[in-house]
Amino acid sequence: MNARLLLILLLLPVVAFAAGHDTSVSDRDSLKIAALEALMSAPPEKALPLVDKVLAGNHSTEVKERALFILSQIDSSEAQATLLRFAREDSSELQLEAIRMVGIGGDEEALASLGDVYQAGNRDVKDAVLEAYLIADDARAIYDIAVNADNETDFSEAVDMLGAMGASSELRELRSQAGMSETLIDAYAVSGDSETLRELAMDSSDPDLQTKAIEALGIVGGEDVDNTLVEIYRSAQSDEVREAALTGMLISGHDSGVLELYRGATDPVQKRQLLEYLVMMDSEAIYDVIDQALAGDQ
Amino acid sequence: MNDDIRKLVEAHEADVHRPPAHVVEQWHSAIDEAAALERGRQQQSWHPGSFFWGAAVTAALAIGIGIGFVLSGDNGVPTQGPMIANLEPSVKATPAAFTRGLAVHLRDSRQQIANLDDSTDRTMLVLQIIEQNRMFESAAKHNNAPKLARVLRAFEPVLLQLAASDIAPENAEALRAQLAFELNVMLTKLASESSDESHTT
Repeated sequence: MNARLLLILLLLPVVAFAAGHDTSVSDRDSLKIAALEALMSAPPEKALPLVDKVLAGNHSTEVKERALFILSQIDSSEAQATLLRFAREDSSELQLEAIRMVGIGGDEEALASLGDVYQAGNRDVKDAVLEAYLIADDARAIYDIAVNADNETDFSEAVDMLGAMGASSELRELRSQAGMSETLIDAYAVSGDSETLRELAMDSSDPDLQTKAIEALGIVGGEDVDNTLVEIYRSAQSDEVREAALTGMLISGHDSGVLELYRGATDPVQKRQLLEYLVMMDSEAIYDVIDQALAGDQ
Repeated sequence: MNDDIRKLVEAHEADVHRPPAHVVEQWHSAIDEAAALERGRQQQSWHPGSFFWGAAVTAALAIGIGIGFVLSGDNGVPTQGPMIANLEPSVKATPAAFTRGLAVHLRDSRQQIANLDDSTDRTMLVLQIIEQNRMFESAAKHNNAPKLARVLRAFEPVLLQLAASDIAPENAEALRAQLAFELNVMLTKLASESSDESHTT
């Protein structure tokens, strides 16, 4: 008999004991948690009834939360059904943790059912459902939440999550479904979608969103974006767009682009503004530039 | 441009994602060293240096997997499976080398989290763990291991809470206990699955 099997056999009675007795002693909890860990080596048909018993028993929230994690690792429809049952119980202390475990379990049916849990839940429950979809890498489910959102908070939380997941295609779809918004621009930036941002930066139909998109390009950064920002500055038709391009370069750290613009500028107001940005960016060339400005030769 | 870089660029341009043989060899050596180190750990008592060696080995493994990502897509963003998946393209099971590397990562994370205290720069250390965790999460996704990828992804929000500088000590302790349990369970599960495979083969 190998050592691991021996350990399981030794610890199984401890789990059974834990399942049938109430205790609030921390050492007892530690022993129960160690026993639950060991269950991971047991066959699912032996582990599942014991975990169910722990969840039904009078144990601490911590012990039950650990039991939920074990359930998430058991490949059986019964285990997933139990997780979903706890995820639906809005009065349970275990609800948020159970929702997370549905995400870890990854069962498609259980994940789909979280949509109803989201609709019925408070903000904490909604955030837990979004996190579960993040864990399950289910961008489509979050897209559905965003597109059906009936308030700004639900929409922006879902869009932020899509941005964190880098779900560019879902975010682009949202643009046509829900219209453009500052929340979406932030998400494009976080997801690194410079292509969409560049398109928005060139669109002057909504000046506020245009300047926001130009600044957001700076968050994405990179050589192509830096060149785009310099071009936007050069071709700008308004001070707002010009300043947004400078802010974009400040965010991306493209001081060589600002220096290039400074050296090429002829308008004293623009030159002063560019110098101010070079100072803010702590450019290495700033002392040469100051020296030349004081000498009056550029 | 030296020969190694030229070969990598040529392979990438030719859409061949298999890395040069010596890179694979180096990566496998890192795995073997990690395994040997782990065996040594089990036989010896803990000493302070082992924390740093563990972190270094995990970093070596992460870099090895990272090389696979660089080879598999533009700008380091993986567009196809990393090299470990491409070594045996016809096999759908999770590669054993990846599983061993992941076990080392989980053990090191467990040890690093257990050793966190207020005297160290906890935020920086946790952010390093998150960085490595992301690398292994991507690798799991590209190595036909979606279940492992989900668990690794689930660690990140917990780690981010732990990284917060204003977290109350009792909350930090609760998060550490949660992570320790979940890491232990995953290590047990990996060991169990690997044992089952060796018994059936």
